[in-house]
Amino acid sequence: MAARTKTNKELFFSGILNENPIFRLALSMCPAVGISTTVMNGLLLGIAVLFVQVFSSCTIALIKDYIHPRIRIPTYTLTIATWVTVIDLVLAAYVPVAYKAMGIFVKLIVAFAIITMRLEMFASKNSVTASFWDGLGMGLGFMFAMMTLGFVRELLGMGTVLGYDVLGFRPLLFFVLPSAGFFVVGLMMAMFNYIEIVYNRRKKVKR
Amino acid sequence: MKERMRHLTLTGLLLAAILVSVGCDTGHRFVKKTEFKDGETIVITFAGPVDEAWAKEKANYAVYEEPDPDILLPIKEISLSPDRTKVTLSFDDGLNTRQAHVLKTKEMLSEGRSQGTAILTVKKLYFGLLLSIFIGAMVVNNFVFTKYLGLCVFFGTSQRKATAVGMGITFTIVIVFAAMMAWALYQFVLKPFQLTFLNIVVFIGLVSLSVQAVDTILRKVNPALFKAFGVYLVLVIANCIAIAVPLILADNEYTGPESFMLALGAGLGFLVALFLMSSARERLELANVPPSFRGLPIAFIVAGLFALAFLGFSGMSIH
Amino acid sequence: MKEILRITIALTLSCLIAATVMGLAFVVTAKAKKHNEHLYMQETMLGLLGYSKARPAPSDLRFYGVYRYVIADGDRRFLGYMVPVKRGGEQNYALVVMDLKGRFVETMDLSISPEAAGDAPEREKALRVALGPPKAVTYGDTTIIAKRGERRLAYLLPGAFPGFKTFISIMLALDPSFKVLGLEIMEHEEDPGLGAEIEEEYFKHQFKGKTFERIKTIDVVRKPLPEQYKKYLERSTSQEGAFTEEEIEEIKRTYEDKDIYAITGATISSKSVSDGVRNMTKRFSYRMESLDRVIASQGVEVLF
Repeated sequence: MAARTKTNKELFFSGILNENPIFRLALSMCPAVGISTTVMNGLLLGIAVLFVQVFSSCTIALIKDYIHPRIRIPTYTLTIATWVTVIDLVLAAYVPVAYKAMGIFVKLIVAFAIITMRLEMFASKNSVTASFWDGLGMGLGFMFAMMTLGFVRELLGMGTVLGYDVLGFRPLLFFVLPSAGFFVVGLMMAMFNYIEIVYNRRKKVKR
Repeated sequence: MKERMRHLTLTGLLLAAILVSVGCDTGHRFVKKTEFKDGETIVITFAGPVDEAWAKEKANYAVYEEPDPDILLPIKEISLSPDRTKVTLSFDDGLNTRQAHVLKTKEMLSEGRSQGTAILTVKKLYFGLLLSIFIGAMVVNNFVFTKYLGLCVFFGTSQRKATAVGMGITFTIVIVFAAMMAWALYQFVLKPFQLTFLNIVVFIGLVSLSVQAVDTILRKVNPALFKAFGVYLVLVIANCIAIAVPLILADNEYTGPESFMLALGAGLGFLVALFLMSSARERLELANVPPSFRGLPIAFIVAGLFALAFLGFSGMSIH
Repeated sequence: MKEILRITIALTLSCLIAATVMGLAFVVTAKAKKHNEHLYMQETMLGLLGYSKARPAPSDLRFYGVYRYVIADGDRRFLGYMVPVKRGGEQNYALVVMDLKGRFVETMDLSISPEAAGDAPEREKALRVALGPPKAVTYGDTTIIAKRGERRLAYLLPGAFPGFKTFISIMLALDPSFKVLGLEIMEHEEDPGLGAEIEEEYFKHQFKGKTFERIKTIDVVRKPLPEQYKKYLERSTSQEGAFTEEEIEEIKRTYEDKDIYAITGATISSKSVSDGVRNMTKRFSYRMESLDRVIASQGVEVLF
């Protein structure tokens, strides 16, 4: 399998760019639209997803030889749910104000198809270290996407970045309203598509 | 099929009748009904005519909000209907109608005879609350357009009207099932034993279980239906809404009927959202979309427009 | 058959391990959560009283918690106030029971420490022990009385009321004459940019300084906030030119009797907060006065 021969570094970067969960794979979009209203939200949720992804990948890679094939999916779900509960409790206890801003989305990480998919496709077949880098890359890709979205929306909507007043006024409050999430994600996806089209065109010309 | 439709409608009507009638009876043989009106008055309907002198005496009534029995609300004025069976009490400050109020009356006099004292609870019809939860989950807080949940599945199955409707119906059935089980487990197991930190695990387990259950039942009961909808069942687990509904009803401590309404509203709202989206996307396929926007990007923009439209429902309340 | 057995065992084992991990996480974080919540409350209370890192609280500042309950004895209802008292040389709690008209009924000794009193389940346990079944208690509200030396500095009232969306939860600070010292928005779910503006100084600070008489009839007015008043309200955090003492006095005098200017596009949220503050103040003043009367006439040795 091609996955096994990728170096750890390649795994890491593919998670961030080629196989970026939000922009390329179009998965786990609920939080992307719903709470990418500020950079801080994006950062925190990104950290939460990173935590769950890395720990779940490592756990499954550790116990992959003991999982009975017929209860694969329930085992993945159980692992993910456990780590989600842990990070949920930790965030609620140590950053309560920011946690409230994220509402229900931390708990919803358990329903992210991307994490289950990753476990099924990668962590159940590879070593702990490889799974760790893959999980890290994927998690960071998610965080990067969320923070970019958050940056655009916070700057254009409230004129601040991470709470610091940058513009001094509010360009378009609309961007902070949740429905703008759809627009911004759609536009960013189109941008990535465009970049890909141009890149392919260039490759064809080179040949 | 027609038989079944008739049965369903009859059961529905019966349920509605029960729910409505529960709100009408005050349990006192002389007081027929008490209700809020216009957010500023309380109207008492008696079973017979009351003596005008008694009815217009403010000291005969005591009104307070249920949790604050020591704060009596001052009555501004009292009016009596011409047939003397309806008394309207109006208050200075406006009533917080979301809160149940208690109305105590001194010995009621009708045609000179005493009808006893009464301690009555004035509150909005429970049915109204249920309806507002339902409309809330379906329209005002539509899970897709206002709460941004269930998007992966949403974008995946909204390309054709047929797929969209199929997914919507399957999802509604599973979510109602799962929500009721979640409510039961939460109220009778998780809360009493202080195991609420297991919420997430238990609820996702329940959703998987419901999918399995609906899968098995459908296979046996109606294979034709299973062939049409079975493929969507697996996708339900990946739907954020499926786990959001149990989490919400646990958070807000909803009762059984309220949970049912929430789940029904969420499912139907999802169906409506899917239907609207698929209608738009079928049209989009025939339109001239720029290459980098084709597929998901333009779908997102359309969804954004719908979300903007649904923003108009914000704050709407019928309760 | 063996397969199913193996699967069941594997699943049960995994569930147990998962439950233990989560249970551990729960126990560890529960303590941190309580501690952080307590810190947040302290910070908010000190902020409302005007103390901050730049102006630290004096060493003789004390907070005392008074908890109000409604006691149900069959069909009859009573008010029970858990008040901090001095007993045997140290701080303890007593329950002052009054009827609904404010007439004294009895006092009972409660055995609960001041730290435990901040925890609702602990309080209810102590109440149950003292009252005994079949009496039932329902929680009313909490009042925190700030005292410096011998004199009452302020009353801090946490409270919640319905807003435009769900609930708005606030902490209100009143001085001993029930004039508003300040208002802090603790929790809400209002729309960002619209209802969420109730957290902004130009809204919150309008309540500061309103006298008891004014607050009893306060309402919102749908007019734009005058520029000068806005600058005055935000003067503690804005970098613009400071006001002179006279200017401050003059602006204060002009606006102290006016109604609250509603937030543009968020009239309902503004009205919810103003109605909430009005009701909380009216009810609290009525109850505090009757409690003080009973305490004075019965000579209960309260610490506030």
